[in-house]
Amino acid sequence: MYAWIWRHLPGPWPVRLLIYLILIAALVYALFIWVFPWAEDAFNISEVTVG
Amino acid sequence: MNQAAEGGVRNAPQRGVKSAPQRSVAALVAGGVGEFMLTAGAIVLLFVVYTLWGTGIQTANAQDDLRDQLGLDTGQLEKDPIPLDQLELGDAYGIIRIPRFGDDWEWIIVQGTEDGDLKNGPGHYLDSVDPGQLGNFAIAAHRSGHGEPMAEFPELRVGDVVEIETATGTFVYQLDDAPNGDPDGNRIDITETWVVDPVPGEPEDTKPTERRITLTTCWPRWGSSHRMYATGVLIGGEEV
Repeated sequence: MYAWIWRHLPGPWPVRLLIYLILIAALVYALFIWVFPWAEDAFNISEVTVG
Repeated sequence: MNQAAEGGVRNAPQRGVKSAPQRSVAALVAGGVGEFMLTAGAIVLLFVVYTLWGTGIQTANAQDDLRDQLGLDTGQLEKDPIPLDQLELGDAYGIIRIPRFGDDWEWIIVQGTEDGDLKNGPGHYLDSVDPGQLGNFAIAAHRSGHGEPMAEFPELRVGDVVEIETATGTFVYQLDDAPNGDPDGNRIDITETWVVDPVPGEPEDTKPTERRITLTTCWPRWGSSHRMYATGVLIGGEEV
């Protein structure tokens, strides 16, 4: 998968590396903003109230 | 030698054409599974980073906004605030200070104890009275993640002071039941709502004669299978 993406990125290797890092950063950002808050709610891992 | 050179040229990929190196199907599948597992592992690690540290960023920002709501920029509570009974869910409710947690330990309480309220700071149980009133003023707060306001909760001891400041005044409570340094002290089940009843331990409709405070948080620290509580009684303060 990772090799496949690398082969399909345009440009010489420094450009590819940059694009790759930006892609990963965008993915991590999406995880932190949308996926993880959802997972935290869905799995009830930090509840502090009685009832 | 010539032959070898020719063979090398024939097998080499043509310039500009990007093709995958030849691999058996089994190797491709094994590689794919391996990459998937590495990715899953990395995501789980990132989730741990998120719960322990990432959630705190949002909480810190929310606390700043809540401070502004209370008008604390000047170090003084706003003189003309929204009355407590007109606050909406998530609004800034007041300030809580617990010297046991440090002299600079100060959090803005929010109105309500829904998940969305508590990620912004300690929350006031809607059904509980306002501070200073007869009954039980109850607060819930996170012990891990979301700025972990109650991180040191088991360190609370009988006799510790909890100070609450709201639009209606400053109220000082003293704990008469606390974990006392025991990491499993005052552990209760999730459903044990009696701790936030007007008179803890008595039927819900018992008429309160004391002005109490109750704090709840999660047990264990990095989980939520149970809860922990501490409770105390009003010993002083002044209304505005």
